[in-house]
Amino acid sequence: MSDEEGDFDKEEFVTLISSDGFKFIISKEIAEVSGTLRNMLGTSFQEAESNRITLHEIDGVLMEKIIQYLHYNFQYKDQVDVPEFDIPTEMALELLVAADFLDV
Amino acid sequence: MSRRRADKKENEPEVRGPNSALTAFLREQGIDAGAIRRRYEQSLLTERNEQTSHLHEQEEPFQENEIILAAIEKRRRRRTDANSDSGYSDSSFSSDDVKDSHYCMNCDREFKITVYSKKLEKDGKVGYLCTECTRFQVDQERRKKKTAFEARKKRKKLASALLNRQELKIPSLQDICIKLLSKHIDDVHALGDISVVSLNKISRILSKNRSLNNRTMMLFLDVTLKHLEFWDCSNIDMAYLDKITAFCPKLESMTLNMCGQLHNSNLISFAQNLLDLNSIVLNGPFLISEPTWVQFFELMNARLKLFHVSNTHRFSGDSLQSLLTNCGTSLESLSLSRLDGLMSKAAYDVLPYHLRNLKHLDLSNPFKENLIDDNLIMSILSVNGESIETLLLDGCSGLTDLFLVKGVKRYCSSLKRISLESLDQVTDSGLTQLFGGWTINSGLIEVNLKRCFGLGDRGILTFLNHSASSLVSLNLNSVYSLSHTLFQTLSRTLKLPLLTALDLGFVRSVDDKAIAILSRICPKLKELEVYGNNRCTQRARIRRGLKVLGRQSDSI
Repeated sequence: MSDEEGDFDKEEFVTLISSDGFKFIISKEIAEVSGTLRNMLGTSFQEAESNRITLHEIDGVLMEKIIQYLHYNFQYKDQVDVPEFDIPTEMALELLVAADFLDV
Repeated sequence: MSRRRADKKENEPEVRGPNSALTAFLREQGIDAGAIRRRYEQSLLTERNEQTSHLHEQEEPFQENEIILAAIEKRRRRRTDANSDSGYSDSSFSSDDVKDSHYCMNCDREFKITVYSKKLEKDGKVGYLCTECTRFQVDQERRKKKTAFEARKKRKKLASALLNRQELKIPSLQDICIKLLSKHIDDVHALGDISVVSLNKISRILSKNRSLNNRTMMLFLDVTLKHLEFWDCSNIDMAYLDKITAFCPKLESMTLNMCGQLHNSNLISFAQNLLDLNSIVLNGPFLISEPTWVQFFELMNARLKLFHVSNTHRFSGDSLQSLLTNCGTSLESLSLSRLDGLMSKAAYDVLPYHLRNLKHLDLSNPFKENLIDDNLIMSILSVNGESIETLLLDGCSGLTDLFLVKGVKRYCSSLKRISLESLDQVTDSGLTQLFGGWTINSGLIEVNLKRCFGLGDRGILTFLNHSASSLVSLNLNSVYSLSHTLFQTLSRTLKLPLLTALDLGFVRSVDDKAIAILSRICPKLKELEVYGNNRCTQRARIRRGLKVLGRQSDSI
């Protein structure tokens, strides 16, 4: 893994930046659970090269929940007996908008 | 009695007290407790002698430990049995006998056998396991039981999901949020910036669990809204229905199901205030009176393109006449289903004279079957034949082969979807004539021939030969005359590349082989229904992605 500043192994990790400046570094495989992110990272957009995606409408708290869901989905992909995914009720509406945007 | 006296043994006392039935029986059979004990002590002695001479004989520990364990068992039993009249003494079963060490079957460790040691049978030899191996074995068995239990739970879950036609997969984040929102819909003040798809999903879920009411319905009204669908308006008052006009002036299409509360004034205000409105679907508007219908159509005039109404007895011949005179030329989609107010043939007979641009026609379930006859349909088709794409005539059992051969075959070049449920007068030869050489039509997409009892192999084969390359959904439920040869012929000659949903319920000839054939020739088939076909068992070989519903073996 090359150790340049801010960059990890280019093939493996992406950085998601929320509207309030929080950076979340997650594995590319997991990010691609979301359709929108998959498309962003797949084509010749700038995001694909730099592996950084800025999401202006999603704040830090929401972002964290979404990343939690991405991991949940990735882990229980083909299983039958999956545990429930908890969401605090206050977050439901904003999360729906964000999930709709991210196609997840 | 005298014979018994002769069999009596000498050492038994002449005088005997009262005996239990058991002892009397044992005595009769000649089972003597003392003899058994003597025999046992003898065997113990001989075994002890053998054991001292050599070691590892597997049968040995078996016999000895078996007996020891049996003895311990008996001792336990005897302890609880207060008044036993057997004469075993404790002395020969001291705990010392139990402490002989043996070798474990698995790991060959020397250990002391106890009541808890597990017996293991391997390669025909029987032995015991030491405590470690016993614990391991017990753990393994518990785990196996747990996986068996989980497998059974999973099978049940799959079976019930199959029955509900749900894909058992992980829920998307949107679905989780929508479910949560629907549960707490009373706390939601505004739905915010959500896509139309999500909005519709939420409104459907709310309709399904009957929480679409005055308050929640307001969440969906938006100034820019063009299409509105409320599948359950039973809890929405007349005053709130009026708010639709106030909040959504740009509405173009409206679907109101179960709209029993729709009043005359509501309908008129729709016509007057929603100037872009061109399509309206109403199911169950029984409060709307005849004059109101007439007035509504007069106001709507040539704006109305799509009009579907069903389940009201107040839509009469006059209302229909007004519809046709005012909107007949602009109508592209018309559905008059289950309207008991249309009782006279004369009401229906005016249809052909006004409808010119029909793409969709639905006259299902008329009040009486003789109201819709071949001539009517033929005249409609002669004018609209080229444009018509959907023809739904479920329950119009007054129709015969004639309209198919002289009407549909002659005129309907664009027809894609046809539904002829319960048309029992349509015969096999009629269907054969229709589809044999039907050159003007390139192929049907959706076909429903449920309960058309007159159909048989030949007709269906001709039909499939015609539409094989375009057919997506086919319903042949209850067409019981179909035989196994149909599937065999299909298997050798045809492929149905786009067929996705097939219903063969109550077609008794469908069996496992037929399922396998269909699985092969229909690569895109996702759902195959075989309710009531007892020859379809779980042994049928189906490929992945194909769901077979209705087999008796899919029990919950």
